[in-house]
Amino acid sequence: MAKFISKTDLLAWLEGLMKERTLAAPIKEEGVTRFAPVKKVADIVMDPGATDFSPKDWFFPPSETLFTVSKADGKTVITPRTMEKEAILFGLHPCDGLGVALMDLPFLAEPADASYAEKREKTTLVGLACRQSRPECFCTSLGSNPFDATYLDVLLIEAGGGYIVQSKTEKGQKLLASAKLTESNVETPAPPAVNTVPVEGLVAIAPHVFNDAFWTRLADRCIHCNMCAFVCPACYCFDIRDYVGKGGVVERVRSWESCQAAGFTKIAGGYTPRPTKAARLRQRFYHKFLYMPKQLGSIGCTGCGRCVRVCPVNIDIREIITTMQKIGAKVAVGAP
Amino acid sequence: MTMDLGQIIKEKAHELLASKKVECVLGYERATDGKTARPLFAYTPEETERFIFDETCVHGLAKFLLNWKDKSTAIVAKPCDVRSVNLLLQEKQLNRDKVFIMGVVCPGVAECSWDRVGPPQQRCNACPQHNPPVYDFLVGEPVPEKEPQNGVDPEVARIKAMTAAERRAFWNQQFDRCVRCYACRQACPGCYCTECFVDQVDPTWVGIRHSPADNHMWNTVRGFHLAGRCTQCGECQRVCPVNIPLMLVNDELTQEVGDKFAFQPGMDPSTLPPFATFKKDEHLGIG
Repeated sequence: MAKFISKTDLLAWLEGLMKERTLAAPIKEEGVTRFAPVKKVADIVMDPGATDFSPKDWFFPPSETLFTVSKADGKTVITPRTMEKEAILFGLHPCDGLGVALMDLPFLAEPADASYAEKREKTTLVGLACRQSRPECFCTSLGSNPFDATYLDVLLIEAGGGYIVQSKTEKGQKLLASAKLTESNVETPAPPAVNTVPVEGLVAIAPHVFNDAFWTRLADRCIHCNMCAFVCPACYCFDIRDYVGKGGVVERVRSWESCQAAGFTKIAGGYTPRPTKAARLRQRFYHKFLYMPKQLGSIGCTGCGRCVRVCPVNIDIREIITTMQKIGAKVAVGAP
Repeated sequence: MTMDLGQIIKEKAHELLASKKVECVLGYERATDGKTARPLFAYTPEETERFIFDETCVHGLAKFLLNWKDKSTAIVAKPCDVRSVNLLLQEKQLNRDKVFIMGVVCPGVAECSWDRVGPPQQRCNACPQHNPPVYDFLVGEPVPEKEPQNGVDPEVARIKAMTAAERRAFWNQQFDRCVRCYACRQACPGCYCTECFVDQVDPTWVGIRHSPADNHMWNTVRGFHLAGRCTQCGECQRVCPVNIPLMLVNDELTQEVGDKFAFQPGMDPSTLPPFATFKKDEHLGIG
């Protein structure tokens, strides 16, 4: 027997939750699907495939004010931006759950990022299992799978005209208290098959591929538009600047950046440690495949395939992994 | 397509590289989805086997020529791409002696995105230029050109017919989505500044904050910097991840410049764009 919710009851549950909480879910605007606050549940894209932008939008938005600084009675007052209400992030796929877990690594490492930590604390993750995989998906190669509930508070698996409901966390249980769940013997469908990419051994082999001409050839094609980093659930580069507004109130603003942008590594005096397009392109992949595993304990990729889909010149992370393995194997054979 | 344009390109590219006439040939190969195309940079005769040409070859390759200005390079160029090469020649960004133009008689290209080949692109339907205006080697048989469509682009006309307040509301709605990735700039053959105004810190022209004012500033100034220079390749709009209709800005400015100066950017390598030149008897309207 499994917990079950009908499609109508699911929407009613979400509608009820919206009274006291903010509900964010996949919303389509001008052909682009991204996680955004929901005005009415009918707007939610219930089978988004992979959204064009990742759920990091919610925790680490494209641009946000972290705090304001003002003067009152001769004293300096720092006012952090806080979340008014608790939130539900609905419609994540299991790989997106992994994405949130990866985003936690840098942002919740001590000292934790206050803005991120608050949003994470006050948000419950309600995921949707994948009905089908896409050609660019490779989540199983990164340790997740289409029905993976590991990083979600609630997972819904579509079956028998409704959803099988799974929840192992306290947050999830609490949220489900208001849901009209029934006991059902509907069978859990088989998860869709997912293409695989040879990720195993990549971290060990990566240092041997660093100086290969492959990166220069790849950079020939890359236009350095940053889009792969912006849609990536695990890329977390940002830029911070202060703005002085009316009455001398200072706002500290954080916006997305990419390690591939020429200005990102530029330091005082104009020096750039990664001066070529190839060096910057390589940096993004080495951060994912070598530095993140070494420093934070996990490869910085979920296999969601968003970067593959968005790239205007077909820089394909799956092809890069495969090529790195091939080059690495050759170098390893030739090594003393 | 009666002729196999891909085969012609393969053979010519092989000859150019084998004879060492050029160091690199820029063209297209099949992408990893097995359906669409991606840019290919061939350095050896062997690599030329991978070249293709069909309706999925949407990318403008002219900007890639700036990667190595001092090396002899051949480029597979559709007429709109030839116009972009011309722009870069007019503005002294390239040396004509180093560029070998393999001009393709263009049947028009399709709306392509990852794993999807869609209908013919709108801009190709309206395009008056199917034969490359300049070339060193012609790929395909020349075709008679259609009469250029006179009058204002219907979409531009629709925006122009709006009141100022309506227009502001329209553009605010479009620019609000901008995530400031600058993919439009990165893909544009006319955007080659060593340091873009948006990246300058002192003075800071545009903030990193995604506010309506900053988003408006970026998108408007991007358009203005291309007035009289845009070759209408459509790359900015193609790469925009949030589908902002950027070509509306460009097309409006192209029409303005066309009306006032009877000038179409990139049609030949020698005529300077109106804003890059000055005539003594010109009426400036400022004094």
